Amino acid sequence: MSHAVRFTGANFAEEVLRSDLPVLVDFWASWCLPSQETKPIMEELAVEYEGRVKVGMLQIDQNPRTRDSYQIEGCPTFILFVKGVEVQRRKGAQSKQALREMLDAICSDGHEKRRVQNNS
Amino acid sequence: MSQKDAPKLHNADLTCWNCPAIDLAGKVDFRACGQSTEAFRKELSDDSDIQIMAECKRRPELGLFDPTGITYEQCPEWVSTPYGYMLKDMRVMILGIDGYLGWTLALWLGSLGCKVSGIDNYNRRDQVMERGAHTIVPIAKMTERLHAAKELLGIDINFRRIDIADRARLREFIEEAKPEAIVHYAEIPSAPYSMIDAEHAIEVQRNNTLGTLGLLFMMRDTVPETSLLKLGTMGEYGAPLTGRPLFEGMFPADAVLHWDNREWSMGGELTPRNPVSFYHVSKVQDTYNVYEACKYWWLRSFDVMQGVIYGVHTPQVADDPRLRTRLDIDEWFGTVVNRFVAQAVVGIPLTIYGAGEQKRGFIALEDAMECITRLICSPPEPGQYAVVNQMSGYYSVRKLAEIVAKVGREHFGLPVKIQRLENPRVEAEKHPFEPIYKKLPDEFGFEPKVPPEEEIYRMFELLMRPEISERIEQKKHLILPKTWWSGEKRRVETIEALTEETLKERLRSDEYQFAEHPEREKILKSH
Repeated sequence: MSHAVRFTGANFAEEVLRSDLPVLVDFWASWCLPSQETKPIMEELAVEYEGRVKVGMLQIDQNPRTRDSYQIEGCPTFILFVKGVEVQRRKGAQSKQALREMLDAICSDGHEKRRVQNNS
Repeated sequence: MSQKDAPKLHNADLTCWNCPAIDLAGKVDFRACGQSTEAFRKELSDDSDIQIMAECKRRPELGLFDPTGITYEQCPEWVSTPYGYMLKDMRVMILGIDGYLGWTLALWLGSLGCKVSGIDNYNRRDQVMERGAHTIVPIAKMTERLHAAKELLGIDINFRRIDIADRARLREFIEEAKPEAIVHYAEIPSAPYSMIDAEHAIEVQRNNTLGTLGLLFMMRDTVPETSLLKLGTMGEYGAPLTGRPLFEGMFPADAVLHWDNREWSMGGELTPRNPVSFYHVSKVQDTYNVYEACKYWWLRSFDVMQGVIYGVHTPQVADDPRLRTRLDIDEWFGTVVNRFVAQAVVGIPLTIYGAGEQKRGFIALEDAMECITRLICSPPEPGQYAVVNQMSGYYSVRKLAEIVAKVGREHFGLPVKIQRLENPRVEAEKHPFEPIYKKLPDEFGFEPKVPPEEEIYRMFELLMRPEISERIEQKKHLILPKTWWSGEKRRVETIEALTEETLKERLRSDEYQFAEHPEREKILKSH
């Protein structure tokens, strides 16, 4: 079962822009090997940050208008939205740790929670 | 079991986006192709939820529709099989259909209801003959094979004698047969053959690399939505002495490069290749050519890094002597387990090179057929170059020799000996080995079903038949290697003979175990 949300042009406004939680969107493509390798990490982050950050992916070739409106120039591109506003963007493959840092910056309890998990 | 109660098949949720019957060309805005989509964009209002549309070649009555909306589970063209949903009467073309794997796969897919087409130029038959060897399992001529497939199994195979380098004729055949998957086995598969001399090295690289390159252009122009299943080899990776795992083609995103107090994710970068012969180099070159073609033209491909394959059995090839697939045991085309069993049958010691501690991934013939079928059922996305490591377990060469010896002695009463020879190859003889081979089980539902002992048993049964052991006798002088990577021309010398006593000693010791096979206990129980 997939934990990461599948964003599309059709659900973008509802799932991303009007979301109460912060949202991490991975703009990805099938021809992009770094994108392919990022998929499992997005799944893991979706579980790890459940209830704090909504984590999902948008296939840019299936959603060209959404791709163009965010001026995606390479993939994977990771954009973090808070209350519908882009607050951070990273281009190219990211390790799980790098993405965690991005998310923890907006989830104050992030570090604490992970430490507890690691100890358990 | 009704469809409803059956567990969900692993490819149930794939959509037309992945399906080879979709017609995307000129309709979807492929970044790298620069194809015009203006005409189709007009069909979509700016506020429509749907952002792309395509047509179905199998169901033209659907007109233009959103290709991400219909799943395999919902589409009537995809039917349930033991290997996942598969297109009804799926058209599959096998390049190199006369070979060890090609012929076996043709019958395997034919019995699943696929419409099989294929080409071969009989290169393998010619090259084995050129070395003075022969297949020890006698095989029929292609005309007779085709006849037997039809008569005994009801399988119609559309065959043409075509060289992969003959691009005009192959293109014509592809346009006629319209394959929905192409399995590319039309490569010369031998490391020692490529190391004989300059002529052989050049022939291997020409056939393999240029043949594949030409095919990619042909697919771009004729069947861009068709998936290409290209046979690579685990040998592309080599065996790094650092013990770095052998990932499936690419580094995972969590692999990080640290340098100069900075770090980068290596995710999606091709891992280093370290080929171990000019044949392996040809496979590495293919890897880059296929990857680039996917990137430039939105082709889709599985690059299948196959472990060392062995065995003689599938239900179809075992059905009748006329349906058998070839089995080579000579130093050039005989893979290691096949060679060992033949040696055991005619009473010559099994020969391991050097220390014999070289570790390799292995897979039985029948398991390999299942893997390929599962990949055919789950095509990659447009533009996706995917790599799978196809193996069911890994062993040292010495341990495999010991398994063969054990089966031969215990079940067939053969006094099997093992000897160590000088190693004619340039390779590490003792090395760490950590292959990653999770994709086929995790994403495609593959579980190895044939433990080595079982396939080796079947091989003994077949090879001990008098008409076959006679053929081994005739060519046994071609088993010991004389092709040196250094270019020397001489027979290898024996380093150490392992007697039955030594062997018994070793079999009793803790060293003798097959623990590397992840599913070993489960498999043994199920048999």
